[in-house]
Amino acid sequence: MSSSDIFDVLNIRPKSSSPDTGTHPPSSGSLAVKQNKPQVTGIQRELYSLLGDNTPSVPIKSSNKFKDSLNSSAKPSPWSFVEFEANSHVKLRHWVKGSKELVGASVEPSSFAKFNQHLSIPSFDEEEYEQFMSGNNSEWSYEEVRYLFDLCRNYDMKWFVIADRFDYNSSNRKLDDLKDMFYTVCQRYFLLRDPENPLISQLNFPKEKELERKEHLERLLSRTAAEIAEEEALIIESRKFEMAAKKTLQEREALLQLLDHPHSDKPISQFLTSQGMSQLYANLLNDKNRKRKLDSSTPENPWMKQQQQFAQQRQQIQHQQQFKQGQLMQQQQQQHQQQLIQQQKLQQQQKLQQSQENQQNKENQPKQQKSSNSQSEENSSKDQQSEDTTEIKTEGQRLNKKQKIELQNALRRKQDSEYAEQLLEKFTPEERKSLGVIAHGEKLAPGVYLRSSKISTYKPAVQNKIVATLQELGLSVRPAMPSLAVVNEHEKLLRKIATLLEIKKQVDKFAAEKQIVNQD
Amino acid sequence: MPAPPVTKRIKTLSVTRPIIYGNTAKKMGDDIPPNAPKDHTHLWTIFVRDPRGEDVSYFIKKVVFKLHETYPNPVRVIEAPPFELTETGWGEFEINVKIYFADVSNEKMLNFYHHLRLHPYVNPETKEVERSNDDSEVPEDEVKAVYFDEIVFNEPTEQFFQLLMTKPGNLLPANKTPNCVFSRQLEQEEVDRIHIGMKNIDGEIKAYEEKLKEAMKSAA
Repeated sequence: MSSSDIFDVLNIRPKSSSPDTGTHPPSSGSLAVKQNKPQVTGIQRELYSLLGDNTPSVPIKSSNKFKDSLNSSAKPSPWSFVEFEANSHVKLRHWVKGSKELVGASVEPSSFAKFNQHLSIPSFDEEEYEQFMSGNNSEWSYEEVRYLFDLCRNYDMKWFVIADRFDYNSSNRKLDDLKDMFYTVCQRYFLLRDPENPLISQLNFPKEKELERKEHLERLLSRTAAEIAEEEALIIESRKFEMAAKKTLQEREALLQLLDHPHSDKPISQFLTSQGMSQLYANLLNDKNRKRKLDSSTPENPWMKQQQQFAQQRQQIQHQQQFKQGQLMQQQQQQHQQQLIQQQKLQQQQKLQQSQENQQNKENQPKQQKSSNSQSEENSSKDQQSEDTTEIKTEGQRLNKKQKIELQNALRRKQDSEYAEQLLEKFTPEERKSLGVIAHGEKLAPGVYLRSSKISTYKPAVQNKIVATLQELGLSVRPAMPSLAVVNEHEKLLRKIATLLEIKKQVDKFAAEKQIVNQD
Repeated sequence: MPAPPVTKRIKTLSVTRPIIYGNTAKKMGDDIPPNAPKDHTHLWTIFVRDPRGEDVSYFIKKVVFKLHETYPNPVRVIEAPPFELTETGWGEFEINVKIYFADVSNEKMLNFYHHLRLHPYVNPETKEVERSNDDSEVPEDEVKAVYFDEIVFNEPTEQFFQLLMTKPGNLLPANKTPNCVFSRQLEQEEVDRIHIGMKNIDGEIKAYEEKLKEAMKSAA
């Protein structure tokens, strides 16, 4: 059963056999399609043919997941279990490739026998020993040393094994004692035999250091989990401290930089040269970057707070100095006031902070006063050198950006209005009126408009009430003659009405509240 | 049309010119103009002019009246004084008025609406029939709706300023005349009326302030 059969049952004609190509047998079309399709495996042929021209919704991959089954025609090679010589007195058997006839003829030594190498441990008799050990008041007897060297030879310098097996007259020798003795003897032996050998110094065994090392190791390994955790926590804590210290240092540096910053009230002669100018520029640029960094850091650090306070105080002191340039009397009063305010501020902060910081602040106040005094002295001396120009400059610097822009706008407007006034100079007030020209001196959008269209309107709710009020007063919403004078008066009236409405609202609200209170 | 050259404006200075605009209308009766449709009953004239009848063409280039769409060629352009348009009609509608200014002004046109009035008012309070929106006298069979306003040229260009300074265009007639009420007299009357209103409001504000104070006291 194929797809064409199903199409037959369902009375569907295959696509390829449309009415005008009906002469072609339908099977040929589908066959051609089938031939074009890639061979798909992993699905039964009958099932696949049911799919017909439809593409399966899930892609069928023609990859085989499993390894190909072993398909080799080669004969298995023979392996034989043959004897070999592991040692001069031990014989063992192992599997070797090759037929028994070929391999098993002779017993061969093990291929690993060449790795069975032994250290050459010096051997000596008692005479020799006495010779090279003369002057060494060791408690070791020749027999014991001999015993140790034998053990070393037997166990191939495996010290833990040697220490384990060492049992000479039930003496209590430790591993390090054995090592020490062995290396001392070796050193002395080689010194006698070959004093020129440069390797002799390496036979030195520092017993004390070794013991110390082992002690440390033991202590390290015998820590409890709690101790390990504590240690880690301590490490983290110390890192934090380090970071904080670093930060504090940075900030202090920044603050110092700020203090070094060229003051606007100082003479500018040093910046007049191109070199000085470029230096100043570099400084300022540096400073800018620093400041940004400071802002971005979180002010959790108590040090930071402290420094910010200092900065604030500095600013305020500078302000005070500004006033000093003016009247002395006023300045003193203002300074006093500002200090009072400052103190209040600080006290408010202190309330929130701990008593510990309280003390710090008390220390600050005298400091700050001191610094303000000293700075003012500086200032007064420098004022004599440069007065007017720097004053303007300092004012400009201290105003923030917004204020600056406003100031600029005001200045520009002033200039403009001066120009306008100049234009109107030749006209008398009467002439001006008849010409309909005024210099209003305000910033209004340029362009033409009808006077009546600029009468102000209020919020819809308020506007409705205002209109009602105007009607009560017998006035129209739009003055019959919206000339400048009339509109100005009209505006005043509107503002008054708005005020009245506001007051009325308040009174009503109050009355309502009172009523509620009385009801209770 | 090439863009007018950008000229410098005089900052913080403004020049004012008063205008009146509005319409007069009367019933045609039997003497219907020959080309008027038969259902038209009224002959009306809409105008824009100086209160004293002075020439305004030195700063107004043209005035465009946009009539109801049922009129043929509803957009009527008047390019020379007098800036007025006479038509016939049977109904009231909003006329869009556009005033274009002299090229040197470099100003946009001024755009506002005037409600064409053909029928007399009936005062809702006095039930009297009024034939004008102000107290000016009108012929027996006429209806009039005239408004005063001021055109304010804020920060005019230098050239336009010089042009405007050639004529004392802001003068108003000293007293009301039967034809035109808009005068310095009316202006003063308006100001006085507003002042009376302000006095009333001031009194009320004081009264409420007292009330508020009392209420506060009693609450405390």
